[in-house]
Amino acid sequence: MTSSTGPRGAGRSDRVGAIVLLVFALLYGFEASRIAYSFSSDPLGPRVFPMMLAGALALLSVIYLLRPGGAEPWPQGRLLAQSLAIPGLVLAAALLLEPLGFAVAVTILVTGVGRLFGASWRLAILGGLAQAALWFAVFRYLLEVYLPGGAVFGM
Amino acid sequence: MDLSYLWAGFSVALSPLNLAIGFTGCFLGTLIGALPAIGPINGIALLLPIAYTMGLPPESTMILLAGIYMGAEYGGRISSILLNVPGDAGAVMTALDGNPLARQGRAGEALMISGLASFVGGTLGVVGLTFFAPLLSTLAIGFGPAEYFVLMIFAFATLGSMVGSQPVKTLIGCVIGLMLATVGLDATSGAYRFTFNEPELGDGIEFVVLVIGLFSISEAMFMLEHQAKGGSVIKVAGRTFARWADIVRCIGPALRSSVIGFTVGVLPGTGASVASAVSYTTEKRLSDREGTFGKGDVRGLAAPEAANNATAAGAFVPMLTLGVPGSGTTAVMLGALMLYNIQPGPQLFAERPELIGGLIASLYIGNILLLILNLPLVRVFSRVLQLPNWVLVPGILVLSIVGVYSTHASVLAVVMMLGIGIVGWLLRKLGFDMAPIILGFVLGRVMEVNLRNALAISGGDLSILFQSTISIVLWIMAAAMAVLPFAIGRLARRAAAPSPQVS
Repeated sequence: MTSSTGPRGAGRSDRVGAIVLLVFALLYGFEASRIAYSFSSDPLGPRVFPMMLAGALALLSVIYLLRPGGAEPWPQGRLLAQSLAIPGLVLAAALLLEPLGFAVAVTILVTGVGRLFGASWRLAILGGLAQAALWFAVFRYLLEVYLPGGAVFGM
Repeated sequence: MDLSYLWAGFSVALSPLNLAIGFTGCFLGTLIGALPAIGPINGIALLLPIAYTMGLPPESTMILLAGIYMGAEYGGRISSILLNVPGDAGAVMTALDGNPLARQGRAGEALMISGLASFVGGTLGVVGLTFFAPLLSTLAIGFGPAEYFVLMIFAFATLGSMVGSQPVKTLIGCVIGLMLATVGLDATSGAYRFTFNEPELGDGIEFVVLVIGLFSISEAMFMLEHQAKGGSVIKVAGRTFARWADIVRCIGPALRSSVIGFTVGVLPGTGASVASAVSYTTEKRLSDREGTFGKGDVRGLAAPEAANNATAAGAFVPMLTLGVPGSGTTAVMLGALMLYNIQPGPQLFAERPELIGGLIASLYIGNILLLILNLPLVRVFSRVLQLPNWVLVPGILVLSIVGVYSTHASVLAVVMMLGIGIVGWLLRKLGFDMAPIILGFVLGRVMEVNLRNALAISGGDLSILFQSTISIVLWIMAAAMAVLPFAIGRLARRAAAPSPQVS
């Protein structure tokens, strides 16, 4: 999905989106029709409601396809990379959470996202350390929510 | 009328723990509301899992979340007025007259008038809730499975016709939510649906994972793209006490808008942004004789603020009595109750009076706390407008990870949240709103179970859906809602007002 800016491009991503939704509706409906069950105490069973939903989504996606509009232009180049870096950094923090501990993971996350939002390296790192300390204190001592200590603060 | 539930509720809400929690909720809510771009729904999504893992009892969690909801409706006006950037979707209209007032050096007065209007709207809304909720729950006792199913149809019809500029996208969002709710074990037949043999999916998609993915990951990505450029905060200077004449002029608009706001709130799914838009347009038509609306008219400021606070209270009526949320934010709160295995409905009044009474009583107390927080202390909250995004956004993400990780103690849940977040971002770029997905999700199981129960009663005969008077009335109301946009389409095109979002 890399359609360009401008009304025509936006219309294109609407149409691509509508087709993706339509395909999803069909796949979902197909899966629904193959749900395995031996007995159900009601006349409809577990298949019919999902199949109704598949039908509704298919119908709505066709309407959407015929009347596109309203999509925003996609971010390009650097901005796109930065947008995707946010879930990337969250993923990194999640994966580091158990091995390295909460404090390290949060420092990395806050520093990285801080850079994306325009902080200088110095401020971003300071922010990372400060937020790691703050959130650790809030969760561990004030709210008593369990957080992994990991290699650095592990007991 | 029997209001004993309310007196019992006050004893719950006035316990030291719940008072402290209510105050925390109001304080955080005002803060969240004041922050541009973060609204009540994001705030509740972030704090719900933490409240849940802390082991708070359900009524305390509800008091916390309700405080945040109301507080955010109060706080949203601060950035609308001082920054001309709405603090949340319900405060869009507040900027129209609030910001011009601030630029005329009357920021302090604008904050006071809008704070008072919020209090009037909020309090009248809670009074309405106190009386309507027991009434509606008495009516709803007569609902069988067929009536419930038709009620859901009515809810989606209302949502499609009232929310967003593109009904088709709102409805697609609802259906996606309903589909997500079908994942997991089907209790009636014991079949596993759409689990692809993944044990993680056996219990279905976790509510916390879904809500945080949709409202916080996608929000962070959106904030990166839409970073407010320039936009300076106006200092609160000059007189801070509004002129009496202005306050008196606002009484009528505030009262009328409270009624509009409460009514819109009661309608399923339609939240503060619809209410403030309707009340602003109504008030403009009624009282804007000199054409001063939009140039700093205090009445144009009081109307939407009274309305959005009344809506928040009104939205609890269908949520507590029918289990159908009155707004996107109450949809998240409904999901919170489900985490505690509580299914709201007409029986809730009989079974958990302390929960409903405590919640409603906390709203009365909360309004008073919020008036105090929002009048003398408003300068403190206006400071948060200077909080840079490089501090705010990472903070939101840390809360998201902790919320998901602490409720599920699994890194896999965090990964799933990210997947949902990216899909949410793609949908938002296409112009979809996230709230209908949540509404569909929390209503999905109930809708299906009631349809199947109805047909089990009738032995598969569809006519049971059209038999009782209540069902027929609901079908007619749903049809009326579906036709409504075409009927008023001409009017709307003439007015060309900005279209509201679910808040």
